[in-house]
Formats: sequence, structure tokens, C-alpha cells
Amino acid sequence: MQLSIDGKSVTAQTGEYILQVAQRNGIEIPALCHHPAVEPSGACRLCMVEITHADWGGWKGLVTACLYPVQEGLIVSTANEKVRKVRAGVLDLLLARCPESELIQNLSRQYGIEKTSFIPRPEPDLCILCGLCVRICEKIGASAISTIGRGIDKIVSVPYETEENYACIGCLACATICPTGEITFTQDEQTRSIWGRNFELVYCEDCGIAIGTPEQLKHYSERSGLDMSYFTKCDRCRNREAAARFARITF
Amino acid sequence: MKNSKLTSPEKLARLKGKLLKQRQKQRPIITVCAGTACVACGCVPLTAAFREALKENGLEDKIEIRTTGCHGFCERGPLVVLQPEGIFYQQVKPADAKSIIEQTIQNGELVEKLLYRDPQTKQVLTHEKDIPFYSKQMRLIFGMNGHMDPTSIHDYIALGGYAALARSFLEMQPEDIIEEVKKSGLRGRGGGGFLTGKKWATCRKAPGEPKYIICNADEGDPGAFMDRSLLEGNPHAVVEGMIIGAYAIGSHDGYVYVRHEYPLAVKNLNIAIEAAREFGLLGENIFSSGFDFDIKVSRGGGAFVCGESTALMASLEGKIGEPRAKYIHTVTSGLWGKPSTLNNVETWANVPMIIEKGADEYAKVGTEGSKGTKVFALTGKVNNTGLVEVPMGMTLREIVFDIGGGIIENRPFKAVQTGGPSGGCLPESALDMPVDFDTLTEIGSMMGSGGLIVMDNLTCMVDLAKYFIHFLQEESCGKCTPCREGLRQLHHMLEKVTRGEGGVEILDDIERLCMVMENASLCALGSSAPNPVMSTLKYFRNEYLAHLEEQRCPAGVCKDLITYSVIEENCTGCVVCKRACPVDAIEGEKKEVHKINSDICTRCGICLAVCKFDAIFVE
Amino acid sequence: MTLPQAPLQNILDKHPHDESSLIMLLQDVQEAYRYLPPEILVEIAKTLNVPKAKVFGVATFYKAFSMEPRGETEIKVCCGTACHVRGSTLIMDEFKRTLGVEEGGTTEDGKFTLEAVNCVGTCAMAPVIVVKDVYHGHMTVNKLGKLLKSLNPKKAKTTGAKAS
Repeated sequence: MQLSIDGKSVTAQTGEYILQVAQRNGIEIPALCHHPAVEPSGACRLCMVEITHADWGGWKGLVTACLYPVQEGLIVSTANEKVRKVRAGVLDLLLARCPESELIQNLSRQYGIEKTSFIPRPEPDLCILCGLCVRICEKIGASAISTIGRGIDKIVSVPYETEENYACIGCLACATICPTGEITFTQDEQTRSIWGRNFELVYCEDCGIAIGTPEQLKHYSERSGLDMSYFTKCDRCRNREAAARFARITF
Repeated sequence: MKNSKLTSPEKLARLKGKLLKQRQKQRPIITVCAGTACVACGCVPLTAAFREALKENGLEDKIEIRTTGCHGFCERGPLVVLQPEGIFYQQVKPADAKSIIEQTIQNGELVEKLLYRDPQTKQVLTHEKDIPFYSKQMRLIFGMNGHMDPTSIHDYIALGGYAALARSFLEMQPEDIIEEVKKSGLRGRGGGGFLTGKKWATCRKAPGEPKYIICNADEGDPGAFMDRSLLEGNPHAVVEGMIIGAYAIGSHDGYVYVRHEYPLAVKNLNIAIEAAREFGLLGENIFSSGFDFDIKVSRGGGAFVCGESTALMASLEGKIGEPRAKYIHTVTSGLWGKPSTLNNVETWANVPMIIEKGADEYAKVGTEGSKGTKVFALTGKVNNTGLVEVPMGMTLREIVFDIGGGIIENRPFKAVQTGGPSGGCLPESALDMPVDFDTLTEIGSMMGSGGLIVMDNLTCMVDLAKYFIHFLQEESCGKCTPCREGLRQLHHMLEKVTRGEGGVEILDDIERLCMVMENASLCALGSSAPNPVMSTLKYFRNEYLAHLEEQRCPAGVCKDLITYSVIEENCTGCVVCKRACPVDAIEGEKKEVHKINSDICTRCGICLAVCKFDAIFVE
Repeated sequence: MTLPQAPLQNILDKHPHDESSLIMLLQDVQEAYRYLPPEILVEIAKTLNVPKAKVFGVATFYKAFSMEPRGETEIKVCCGTACHVRGSTLIMDEFKRTLGVEEGGTTEDGKFTLEAVNCVGTCAMAPVIVVKDVYHGHMTVNKLGKLLKSLNPKKAKTTGAKAS
């Protein structure tokens, strides 16, 4: 199907969302709670765009690009004055929530905001509650974290903060996906620490680099149905081995 | 056990005939209202006293006592109506039971002191139907409440209950039912005002099985309680509506999502569902038609946002009640991603009436765009608080002044708040507007679920706006930025205004923030959150300006801008206020005029509340 | 502290073991134990096969649930709009002062929990409070004093009681 984004005619498939199509066509729309690895959620409200259609009798409205399904003939404006005004308002609010976040500071500057016009949160952290960590943990981790509480008191956490109840496998997916760097971890030769828990490390049989925690590898094995023996080498060494095998067969 | 299953509409009709005969024999009846409000006023000991008194007089077998659902006039509870005459006694105490039986029942004399006296005309009125609170109403949905025991399916059937269901199964195809509901013009009573028939049609056509029927009884709007009273007083009407809807849409699974704060509603609903199952009206093979449908009751966990359809469905699935975007509607992809029809309690209760009377007859009541009646919860600073059911299109003035009996102590009317936290405050100039979905939206408010909260000159509109924003801030699920962060900031700003700070410029900041919240929020909780602020700014801007420019709260509410003092002429020196003051800010000996030390005074208002001589002055 | 297991077993037996029962189960646990003990939440997570983090997320999202033990008597002060315009703030302030707790707090002796609730649906009798599931309408500071006295005759010393 054909639709128009900022006056440019683009092609899309049924079931796609505006944001996907825009990104593919090099049209940039800011989005903080979006990641191709997880389902869209529409929480940060930064990817607001204006849509209309020739058949809608002049009606137009703001929608989130990450969740709005494309349709034939849709006309999308990603950066008109109204869109920019609303987006600036959302960024201003996020800046009041996380005044120390470099990511939010940089984005805000693009919308002419140097300092939030609102009252900054006392004792701010870097969490913008985008929910990416919770979604990725559910998808590839062990559903070890959740949002706790509601409204302005909502946080992301592990349950009860007692170690025996942790389901965390130390896979670091949450820390990797976190856009603002709020979720941190440490790792030295022996241990990896995240969410207040220490994990042992498993090393590659061949090259000796750390490939994960025992809990993480067990989880992958259970999920994939592959034997634990598969998880004894790092990806590079495993690929090297496969390539060597392949070379033997062919030549 | 005797098999009570009604395997065909004919059997239902025969049962009704039998029950009606029995009812005729049993007259007269003492009906005691047993809605939550009347229970709170002591109707349970009252009923016991009636039983006792009947026994004493040897009348247990001649007179029936029927505890009914809410009659609506909660202000005057406990209410007792003697049938068939319709003699109306109000604020009846257990001690009055004896005199009612001995004087009225046995001797046909009225108990004067229990009759209703019209506060305006001072006229004493004997019958329920003559009381202005009732006479101006059109109680099509609520009328049955007063005539039946909500826990008795026999009562409901005797009054014509489940006849609409029989008609649907006997004479109509699912498509006919949808057509009839469409033609009736019924719009969702929960707030959105979406056309019910259209919703059903889309859901029926939507691909995917199973399909779900859901009743939204998560009546979260503070100041609205018609759904509670309907579930408590006439649960079968809701159940019947849902079965008809299920048959029309092709659904076999129904859910009722009820607020956990409504224990009596949950109890009566469960009794009704159980009885309907026993009578074969729910379950497998209803009326031997081969059609199956059953209903599960789910108690909400206590979250206002779960009134929103997608959050409600998430909650039914056992998840956190966060809404999701509705670019794909719930009629296509709702509960567990399946086509789902969600209507609120009052909407479902309208359905049997439409089927029974026919759409044309139903649509005779109401306005062009809003058909039928609407139940309003009339509360606040009005004389007759309670539930009122009126045809769509009645003016606010008629509701507030004719039915509601005007403002308490004849103080001046200031505003009426409609539509709950998502609605707006309307000034005197809007009183002559007809109340329907479209008019209310046009003038900056909304129908919502039908709360009407009346305010007088002692209500501060800035404080009220702050109240709603505080409410919403506590109830925001916290998923999306504009709602979560916006409400926090909006509350800060309104707090500043109530302290007289921020200058007039703050109003521009407020308006700008409201624009962002309205446009960028994920669900209706956030996008309509600015309504109470924007509507008070529109109609009561002067009050905001008084706070900001003169550091004055005209209603005498905002603590930082008021002072308490003693009116010397009125003070008798009784020391009640002095003893009551929690911070010892009141000085003065017994029988001497007291004085309030405003440096210590925290403006808590206790002295004003306890003074019996109107000697405390607020400015 | 070891918790009685019997109520939990009854509760678990009452509901189908899938995710959609979670909130109903938590309701029943809250009623039986007056809060949601962590060890019971873990048990529920196992039985329903729902991640513990999710159970914890749900338990902290809804207002009906409490993670701390609630007092023997719950005092719910309705703060709905109708109650607000008829002076519920004053009632709430008086309770806070008399019981010496904040909104949502429990007295040290574990007797009372003070709760602000958003509309109990008896707006016609505003302001309303609910104590031990009994509704008290048209509340005043004076009535409140008498009520507290009847609940806790030894300790209640309220403004209202003082004044009457």
C-alpha cells in the first residue's frame, strides 16, 4: 500500500506501524520506549505524529507512530508545528522527571528547551519509565522485574528485594536496552552484579572469555531445547569451529 | 430437589401467571428500602422491628415485608412505602414500626410525623408519587427497584422480567436484536456515549472466537452511584440485558467487573446469577435453544483507571490495569485479544426494555441524539440528594431545583459538576441547557456516568479543580509521560494558586500543560484530566484571579488565604471551641468572648464545626 | 512469624489456577490475613505459574491490597467529590489528629488503619465514613468523637468527644 509521510510517498505492508515505515524511509521520529526486539507500548508519547486522510472530511489528529497501523492513503506529518509543540511539552515533562539524563537533555535541546519549565523531581534518577527493561526481561529473560506501584510513585524493581525471590538470571538484557543508563551492572574477572545480586561467570572452553552466568545459560538451554553442552563456548569460538568443520567437508 | 428449569418461554409465562396470582393474595406489603444508604441509616433493625410488631399483632401471615433495592431518595432514608396505596414514610426509626402497624395498617390512619413535608411549600405529602422528588422523574429503569426484593427471581419474573429474553429467543434472530438496539438510539451510559447497537454489530462481525461480553461495573467516578444501586436493587435486569446481548453477538462467556468497594452489589449480583442458572436462564441450552451463555463475576482491585475499557480487560486477565492504545478497537481485539463488547451496568439494564417495548416506543423518550432516560446521582449542596432518573433533555435547572429542591439553606447556586473527574463545572448560565450527551460536550463538560455534584458559594472552584487533579494523580496508572508527569506538575501549579502564588502568568502555564496532556496522553484518563481545570478557568476565571491578584479565596476555603475570627456578638463563651482547638489557638475564659490567635491557628475548621452559636467567622 | 496455611489452601482451592484468578486470589488473601504476606505471594506465583515479579507488580498496583499488615479496624474516610464539597477534609484531618497517623497509616497498637477512599457510592449521605464495613453518613466532628469512643473506649480522646 501507499501512504504519505511528510509529503513523501512511501510503500508499506498491512500490519506495519507508521514508525517502522518512517524509519525504513529515513524519516526520523524520536521514540524512547520503542525497540524492534519488543512489542510497542506507547508509553513515552514522544513519537506523536499528526495523521489525516482524504476520506476523513478534514479530520486530523495526533497519534503515536509506534502503534498506529498504516493504511492506504494515510497522510502523516511527523514534524509540523502542532506535533513539535506537543513533543516539546512531553520532553519538558521528562526533563523535569530526569534533569540529569544526558539523553533527555540532548533531545530537549533539539526542541529549544535548555532547562525544564516545571519543578524538577526531588532526588531524580535516570528512569523515564519507558518499560523497555520489563518487556525485554519478559521476552528473553526470566520475567524477573516488573513495574511496582502506580502513578507518580511507579518504579521498576525486582520483587520484595530479598535475594531468594529473585528470578533474575543476570543476562543483562535490561541494562543493555535501557536508553538512559539507569540500570547498571558491574563485572570483574569472577563476578557479575546486577539488581543487587552477584552471579558467578562461565568461561569459554577455548578462548576463556566470560560467556554468561550459569543461570543465564541454563535458561537459554531450557528455552531453546539445546543441550547444555552447546553453551560451553563463546559465539566466536563456536563459529570458528563450525567454519573449520565446513571447510573440511567442502574441500 | 424440584427441577425449576424454565426450558421454554411458555414455561416462563406460566410461572409469571402463577406468581402474579400469589402476589395479589398477599397484599398489603410493607416495602423497606435496603440500599446501602438506607442500610447505613438503620433499615436492618427497622425491618426486624416490623417483623416483631407484626408478630405481636398476629399479622405475620396477612402482611408481607419486602426489603427492596434503592428507591433513590437516599437523603430521607430509611424509606418505607406501604403498598398498594403507596404511602410514603421517611426517616423511619425502629421505634416507629409499631405505630405504623397499629395506626396505618390496622386503623388506616397516617403517622403524621413520618410523612414528607415539602421544604419549599411546607405541604405534607402522603404518597410517593406526589413528592416532587419523584413526580418529575421518569423511572423506567429504576422504577422496579421499589417493588421487588432484589434477591428474589420470582419478584423479577412477576414484574415481567425475562420476558424480553423470551421474546428475543422466540421471535428474533440475533441480527434483528442488533437492528432493534441500533434503531432505539441507545448510547453507552458509562461516559463515552457510543452507539450500543453499532458496537454490537461490529463485534458480531469481527473475526475470532470466542467473543466476550463484559459489564463494566467499576463505577469509579466519585459522585456517581447509579450502577451500584442498580446491581443492588435490580441485578436481574443487568443479567437479562447481558444474555440478550450475548445472544445477539454470539458470545458464550460473560464477565461482570465490579468495584470491590461495593460488597452488597457483588452479593446480590451473585445471588441473581445463581438463581438465573437454577432457572435455566444462564448456562447450557437456554430455553432449549441450543444457545449457551454464562457469567463470571470479577471483583476489581481498586483502581479508577480500570473503568477504561482496555485497562479493565487487562485487569480481568489478572494483569496490572494499564490501558493500551485503542487504534484497534476492543470490539475487534479486546479481552485476551478476542472481540469483546463492553457496556456499563445502566446500558445493559436498558436492553430488556428496548426489546420488550420495541425501539420505536423506547426512542419516543429523549432528544434527537440521546434517547431514553438517564439516571443521575444528585449530590453536593442540594436539598434532595439521591438518584434521579429523568428523560434525556431535561434541563439542569429542573433537575437541581425542581427535583433536587434547590440549594441547602437557600444559599446561592454556584456550579454543577458533571461527568466526574473527566467532566467539567458548569455555571448558572448553563442551567437551562438540556442535558444530553452532545449538549454537555459542547459546553465543555461531559455526561460521564451521570454524577451531578451541586456547589454553592462556599465551594472554591480552584480548590475543586485541585481536588480533581489530586484524585487523578493518585489514580493515574503511571504508564505514559503526559498523564503521570503532567498531573504531578498540574497539581503543583494549582497548589500555588491556592496559596495565592505564581502571578497571573501561571494561568498561561497551566493552559499550555493542559494542551499537552489533552493531546499526548495514552488514554482518556489523561486526555480528559485537564477538563476540570479548563472548565473552571473558562467559567470561573475570576476566582482564580482573586487568588492570584488579591490573595483572596472568595469561598473561604483555601487555608493559606483565610483567617478565622470570633464574632463577638454571637459568642457566649461556652468554651466548646477552645477545648476543641487542637493547637490551643483560642483564648478566653468561660462566659467571656473568645479570641482566635491567628499566628497559632492552622485553619483546620474544627471551631467552626463545633460552634453552636454561629460565632466563628471565616474570611 | 509463621502464618496459618489453612486459609491459603482454602483460597487456592476456590479459584481456577490460571493468571486470570490472580486478583481474586489476592482479594481473598487480603481479607484473610489483612495484608499480602510475601511468602504467600510466592506460593500464589508458583500455583498460578505466574512470575513472582508480576504478582508483586499487580499486588502493588491496586489499592485494595496492602503489603503491610493493616489494623484490626479499618476506618475508610470517603474522599469522593460529594464528600469533599461537604467537608470530608475536616473529618480526615480530625481522624489523623486523633489516631496520630497519616493517610494509609496504622496505629502503633495495630488497632486502626486510616484509609482515604475515593467514593464509596453513598454520596447522598456525604460526608461518609466506613468502619468495619458499616457505613456512617452525615459525619460531623462531634459524631466522629462518639464513634471512636465506642470503638476504643479506653484511648479515644478526640476533639469531638472533648467538646460534647
